[in-house]
Amino acid sequence: MSLEISPHIPRQPLLRFILSLADDELVLGHRDSEWTGHAPILEEDIALANIAQDEIGHSLVWFTLYEELTGHSPDSMAFERSWREFTCSRFVSYPIGDFAYTVVRQYLFDAAEQVRLRMLSESKSDALNEIAGKLEREEAYHLLHSQGLVERLGDATEESHRHMQAALDQAFPQALGLFESLEGEEELVRGGIFPGNRLLRDEWLEHVVPVLNEASLRPPVQRQRERWGIACRPDEGGRRGEHVKPLEKLVGDMQMVYTLAPSAKW
Amino acid sequence: MHEKTYEQRLADFEARVARGEKVEPGDWMPDEYRKNLIRMIGQHAHSEIVGQLPEGKWIPYAPGFRRKLTLIAKVQDEAGHGQLLYTAAETLGKSREEMMEELLAGKAKYANVFNYPTPTWADVGVIGWLVDTSAVINQTMLAQGSYGPYARAMKRICYEESFHIKQGYDAIVALANGTPEQRQMAQDAINRWWYPTLMMSGPPDSLSAHTQQSMRWRIKTKSNEQVRQEFVDHIVPQIRALGLDVPDKDCYHDEKTGHYHYTQPDWEELKRVVNGGGPCNAERLAARRKAHEEGRWVREALAAKRTQNPASG
Amino acid sequence: MMDTQWETYEVFHQSKRGEAHVHVGSVHAPDPEMALQLARDQFARRLKCVSLWVVRTKDITATDYQNESFFAQVTDKSYRDPKAFEAPDKNSPHES
Repeated sequence: MSLEISPHIPRQPLLRFILSLADDELVLGHRDSEWTGHAPILEEDIALANIAQDEIGHSLVWFTLYEELTGHSPDSMAFERSWREFTCSRFVSYPIGDFAYTVVRQYLFDAAEQVRLRMLSESKSDALNEIAGKLEREEAYHLLHSQGLVERLGDATEESHRHMQAALDQAFPQALGLFESLEGEEELVRGGIFPGNRLLRDEWLEHVVPVLNEASLRPPVQRQRERWGIACRPDEGGRRGEHVKPLEKLVGDMQMVYTLAPSAKW
Repeated sequence: MHEKTYEQRLADFEARVARGEKVEPGDWMPDEYRKNLIRMIGQHAHSEIVGQLPEGKWIPYAPGFRRKLTLIAKVQDEAGHGQLLYTAAETLGKSREEMMEELLAGKAKYANVFNYPTPTWADVGVIGWLVDTSAVINQTMLAQGSYGPYARAMKRICYEESFHIKQGYDAIVALANGTPEQRQMAQDAINRWWYPTLMMSGPPDSLSAHTQQSMRWRIKTKSNEQVRQEFVDHIVPQIRALGLDVPDKDCYHDEKTGHYHYTQPDWEELKRVVNGGGPCNAERLAARRKAHEEGRWVREALAAKRTQNPASG
Repeated sequence: MMDTQWETYEVFHQSKRGEAHVHVGSVHAPDPEMALQLARDQFARRLKCVSLWVVRTKDITATDYQNESFFAQVTDKSYRDPKAFEAPDKNSPHES
């Protein structure tokens, strides 16, 4: 029995929206899973593996919703689509870098997720608000962990500060790509699906800028009365399928064994 | 109250062990017992840590959501088991800093089985199925051992290992019932891992210096040969039931003994691999060293942060 | 210079309300708040859990196994065992 979308909600923009959520979680989860066995301390190997499983698990929830709407299975979407058809942000596809980059990326992503899921839990779409309400709880734990690390590492030692500021310099413009506007987004906003990426971005800034500053880290933003002044160019393109080389390799790796025998059972 | 002599203490200790009572941290214990356990538990812990690498390598390539999630969970468990085991060793007075240092300097041993490469996806399933079955048989035995913290760690670990075996077996069943290429991949992996897995149980006890004393003090309660035989008896029928086989022409069920007869692995090769000559020894240790070095600033920073705020908590 | 693996914290796990907290192991952590998180990932990823306690290993005061006389019971104290009293007569008016 397939899920029906109410007629006043535009189908293509909604599908693309759900796919962008699924792809972000899948790709970031894949990146996080690369740390297992290589983290700075054993307890963090375990913690990062937990986050990776949660994220891939979340992507599976979104892909399952997508399947109910289109008939395409999660495995077929993740393991048979061309990398050019992915709709993840470029941000999540970049290599893991050092621990500082991973922590900063995780924090910036988790903070965006918290805002996004809260907004979606008020969505007019029952399917979306139900899922968002569920995922919010696991994401809260991720944010606790990543924010805790940012707060500690930001100014613990001169060396940690250096690593973290460099990571932020690199990650911040990329993170802005999370809020790239989607094709047909205005229709989703009109339909009460979610309030839109601009609002999402501004709320995200309200959250992350004070936390980063408190940790002695400086993002390239300025509060200008009622607006945010951003002093860098966002690294966008992912939502339009304009991806970077690391994604091509990531998807190639991810699909390598599966495509040896795609119709077979693994 | 007069002080007990060494002989009296030793007699009390051995009587406790013979009664089946556990030895706990802080109990008097002979030096050899302590040293033996630190060596054994340390090696076990190091094996789990290094063991993350041959399988962890395949996480990015796992075919399908279920295999991907399951493999991350499995490797996470290995880190978790290492953590439990280091804790048990720490109760005997050895710090984790020291143990890490020894492993990374190449001074500590770990299960040689993890010095072999994992060139295909099937290797991951075979490790979960064969290597973890052998490990469980050994660990079930160790869970009856005399040292409290180690026995407790073993019980926890055994519970999680049954998941490891099942996920590995399930992955190989899919291959065995799949395309001819998948089937061949599974058989090739079994061919590669059969003898290294047999070697996991340790050399025949006539060759092992540690076994006699370990058994008297119930550090182990079965000989290496007993454990290996149990493994072979258990796994060969399972392998053959899938239409796959072991790379041993002399592996057959002996009606008289009720056990499987099998060819002993090449123990000279074990010596070579254990002493650093295995195909992946250098690579595994280099990866661990890299992780350790590159993470140093993180460990130091978080420790320093605590010193800044000792009042909190 | 020897590296740090942080201090250890002993972990106590309560599987559901009404049960006692049970000692399940320890974690290495840089501070108590992180110890709680790391303990959750290590000790509560499969087991149901409603509460975790972490205590610095250094802060635990323990008895010494070798000091057995700490727990010695040598005089007869059966007077405080409920079985040491005769059961009351079932027909007695004092039956509660």
